[in-house]
Amino acid sequence: MHTRSGVNAVELLVNPFLLYGAIALGGIGVCVALPRRGVNPQILGASLAAIAGLVVIGALSLSAPDALPNLHFYVFAAIALGSALRVITHPRPVYAALYFILVVLSSAGLYLLLSAEFMAFALIIIYAGAILITYLFVIMLATQSPTEDRVDVLADYDVAAREPVLATGASFVLLAVLTTLFFSGVNQLPQPRDAGAREALMAEMPRRVESAMRRADTLAAGESLVFLEETPWALDLDHEARTVMVQRADGVVEARALPGDLRLRNVESLAFNFLNEHPATIEIAGVILLMAMLGATVLSRRQVEVDEDLKAQQAASLRLGRAMPKGDAGAAPSPGAARAGGLPGGRFTSSGGGGGGDRGGEGARP
Amino acid sequence: MMETTLLAAQTVPGVAAGAGMDLVAPMAGVTLAHYLFVSAAMFALGLVGFLVRRNLIVMFLCTELMFQAAGIAMIAFARYHLEMSGQTFVIFVLTVAAAEAALALALVVLLFRMRDSLSSEAWQELKG
Repeated sequence: MHTRSGVNAVELLVNPFLLYGAIALGGIGVCVALPRRGVNPQILGASLAAIAGLVVIGALSLSAPDALPNLHFYVFAAIALGSALRVITHPRPVYAALYFILVVLSSAGLYLLLSAEFMAFALIIIYAGAILITYLFVIMLATQSPTEDRVDVLADYDVAAREPVLATGASFVLLAVLTTLFFSGVNQLPQPRDAGAREALMAEMPRRVESAMRRADTLAAGESLVFLEETPWALDLDHEARTVMVQRADGVVEARALPGDLRLRNVESLAFNFLNEHPATIEIAGVILLMAMLGATVLSRRQVEVDEDLKAQQAASLRLGRAMPKGDAGAAPSPGAARAGGLPGGRFTSSGGGGGGDRGGEGARP
Repeated sequence: MMETTLLAAQTVPGVAAGAGMDLVAPMAGVTLAHYLFVSAAMFALGLVGFLVRRNLIVMFLCTELMFQAAGIAMIAFARYHLEMSGQTFVIFVLTVAAAEAALALALVVLLFRMRDSLSSEAWQELKG
């Protein structure tokens, strides 16, 4: 059924006047919206890009009105693409990072629509919660602080884009080829596999099956589930007929229907796939993270060594009773500094007290 | 129509109703195309940003944008094939993104301390 409408969509989309025209319009829009010196028509560029996106998504939807995505898809996709555009066009890095958080949140919404609940929340926790906060910290650490004469000036490298026309052209040619391939390739894919094989994994979760059956009152107090002899951790469960073998209190074994609401949840099927079918993934991921941690430590260590040298130098100079190479002695509250400049420090405090006394006298006089 | 891609389980035509087996409905091809277009457009935007911006941190932010696009495509294909490996690979993408962020940001802070600038053009001599 959807193959026929899919063919229509492909005919409509591979039609160069529509797809390539819209992508070219989007490219022009992005190119106009990129930051530049002088006049900066960002709103015009963003509207052009938005029109282009609307044309493509609208053509996709109109070509197959019987297989529309959920309404929420349009909202999340609009927010994701709009904020993605803002990430690359906003001249201030902090705002770009904040817009990227918006991209992450709307991608998590798209994941939810695709029934990947675990990944949606993992995305929010890891990306928006950890990675982006690190980015924000580094952006704030590595920005020149504003001085007296220039308070709110952007750095020179943030003001203007480099080679906007060439870069946008290359990227949107890639986008055109990519979409053509997508839309001509998608309908030649084999039909989705039967998901029943996944439901068979239910046999490996005896405790869940048991608790669901006890809740549904299909398993009484003295009865127990039957395990297979060759695989003693798996239940004797027929996923196609949705029955499981139960041993009654009097020893008779009988097939009993599973509760209707007993399904493999997203986290469970993900866990089975993650640990059963790709057991090396977690090891490789661990090694990658360890290497990254080591690398980051090594990279940032060099600067610390310099600081250590400086500290040792300072400590040595303090031990010798000399003044520190830089800075005034009054500001350093160390015993060495106090010993070196004891008299000036005392005079400073006494004069300060005198000033306070003068002020008090002024207050009392009128 | 609203629930075609939502979490609700639906009876797939072709499976005998008497068997009591209702599966999550596979996505129609056109709906997959919608998600793939969003993914491709986001990837292209990230690529534009990486090529165009001159701030090192924003350049790395744009690579994260491309990671996001890859993740959406993988989750969409996973849903289309009703196969969980796509989601497993997104876990992997998250790992790589986290590792990349840690390394790249340490590197950026180091470079910033050396040149006192985040501009990628401050390191032009690296092109040899």
